[in-house]
Amino acid sequence: MRNMFADAPRTSLTAIYWAFLLYLLLPLTLMMAMSFKDANFVAFPIGDWTLDWYAKVMQDKQFLEACLYSVMIAAASTLAATTLGTWIAMLIVAEGIKGQVIIFALACLPAVVPGMISAISLRIFISTIDMPTGTAAIILGHTVHAVPFVVVMALTRLRSMPGNLVDAARDLGADSIVAFFRVTLPYLGPALVGGMIFCVLLSIDDFVRTFFLGGYRPTLPMLIFAKVQGGMSPEINAMATLVLVVTAAVGLYAEYMTRRARTR
Amino acid sequence: MQPVVQFDNVTKSYGKHVAVENLNLSIEAGKFVTLLGPSGCGKSTSLRMLGGFETPNSGRILLGGKDVTRVPPNKRNVNIVFQDYALFPHMSIAKNIAFGLELKGFDNQHIHRRVSELLELVQLQDYAKRLPSELSGGQRQRVALMRALAPDPEVLLLDEPLSALDAKLRQQMQIELKSIQEKTGKTFMFVTHDQEEALTMSDTIVVMNKGRIEQMGDPNTLYGRPGSVFVANFIGETNLLRSTVVGTEGDQAALNWNGVTIKAAQGGLTPKAGDHLYVVLRPEAIHCSAAEPESGNRIKGKIRQRVFKGNHTSLSVEVGDGTMLNALVHPADVSQLNGEEIWVGWKPETTTVIPDRHAHN
Ligand SMILES: Nc1ncnc2c1ncn2[C@@H]1O[C@H](COP(=O)(O)OP(=O)(O)OP(=O)(O)O)[C@@H](O)[C@H]1O
Ligand SMILES: [Mg+2]
Repeated sequence: MRNMFADAPRTSLTAIYWAFLLYLLLPLTLMMAMSFKDANFVAFPIGDWTLDWYAKVMQDKQFLEACLYSVMIAAASTLAATTLGTWIAMLIVAEGIKGQVIIFALACLPAVVPGMISAISLRIFISTIDMPTGTAAIILGHTVHAVPFVVVMALTRLRSMPGNLVDAARDLGADSIVAFFRVTLPYLGPALVGGMIFCVLLSIDDFVRTFFLGGYRPTLPMLIFAKVQGGMSPEINAMATLVLVVTAAVGLYAEYMTRRARTR
Repeated sequence: MQPVVQFDNVTKSYGKHVAVENLNLSIEAGKFVTLLGPSGCGKSTSLRMLGGFETPNSGRILLGGKDVTRVPPNKRNVNIVFQDYALFPHMSIAKNIAFGLELKGFDNQHIHRRVSELLELVQLQDYAKRLPSELSGGQRQRVALMRALAPDPEVLLLDEPLSALDAKLRQQMQIELKSIQEKTGKTFMFVTHDQEEALTMSDTIVVMNKGRIEQMGDPNTLYGRPGSVFVANFIGETNLLRSTVVGTEGDQAALNWNGVTIKAAQGGLTPKAGDHLYVVLRPEAIHCSAAEPESGNRIKGKIRQRVFKGNHTSLSVEVGDGTMLNALVHPADVSQLNGEEIWVGWKPETTTVIPDRHAHN
């Protein structure tokens, strides 16, 4: 009997842990389960199982086009954010530049501004400069949002870089550009890969900014949103499940890559 | 012959703090030169100015007769071995060594040949494909050395490259470094605060103190004839006896130390009666005996401490007014020194004198 009370704190901790896990996974599991249901309505009980919904999704031109569009936007904004973010991080650690704290604060601002506010301000901004809504505007919005994450990741890695690696490269005959591309950039590599994958996920996931800045061509979240408004169906569950599996796989792979690089 | 390196009145300060002051130094080709001095005396700053990483506030630095004071590091024909090696972590050993050669535009065949040649020199052929993180400290050290030697610099700069190694490995590397220097015939400019290291390897030692050169010379001279109290204390162990000149006899000076008359070689000085001098008495020059020695300098003393050091015993002997002299005694002689009271003796020619700069007489 004494044992039971002595173990109470541990037992309750364990219980909370499992409850949390359940809370986390149950909705996802339900969503996945429904995507295999052989009926038109998303509800229990699931009588028969089928892969038809997946077959349907894979043939859905709208869905495939939205996927492609999202990936394209993600790729473009990631490229831009990574370049910009790395450059800003280099500026922040560089010697002899004033106002590094201010640069850092400004670079990080978009990460803490609420998505809604940032979306509205971007919308106002592009209409002020007479930029049409659409692809370019979305890429711009996603880039601004992603830059802080690249800056922070690159900065962390840069700060752990032995100061004389670049000195050594310069000493052996590299000018500062060669030293950057042959020494600093490879050193930053793992952090940048991690940052880039994070940017991709942020962009694919983004709804608010895309909604405010987008034209008529829907990205993936916009398409799913439109479909949900037309009523739930297992087809949407199948779409969502596919997106979940792919993004989770990408995220895990990124984690694996950065971890492997970090052990070096 | 023209010196490879010349510092011509070089001064470098950080804000108000003067790190290197009016440095004048010429280094001959093919020599192993060591900058020796306590922490913060400006050794690294001097080396970094030669490497191109710091610009002097005034003065000139010449490399092979050419003024390189304002030439960037990548355009100077010198290479540095950094204290923590600074090997590129994402490149294999071979790639690290090839780095400087690639930037000099050699063709692949030449690079390959040179890299294997250098790896062979330090017996690391089998490690060519490994990453730096997969090597031991000593091996990394060797790679860093070979990487810096690869582009065939006019001068190789080494900034305390051995300080991260343990004592045993450090001694081994000292010998290896010296032999590589001799094999390649390169000019080495080595920085250390370890006087033993400096004595072991150098052709010339430059003792620095507070941004200035205190004394420069070969190890024998610096040890045998230190020019200042600082150098005497910094290099090896020393007993300093502050004495007053009584007179001179040939090349020896007669001095009064606490009422005892001692003689010492003049060491190039021309002392006058009444001058104050320090007599530099190295521990190993002292001979301790139970009976009074018949000739040479001798002082009565009391043994205060015996420290057994394996191949010798270190004695602290109190003489005169409480001055402690440090003496090295051979194991065979220790057994004869049973009592507390002994005689400390030495030959006048084994000592030298240095002027007391602070004396006002
Ligand atoms: N970047 C810098 N900014 C300000 N002061 C500096 C800088 N670099 C060196 N100093 C100062 O210049 C002096 C000489 O420094 P230096 O690094 O040359 O010393 P060192 O002889 O190499 O010493 P150690 O044996 O500790 O390496 C020191 O007092 C140091 O504080
Ligand atoms: Mg130093």
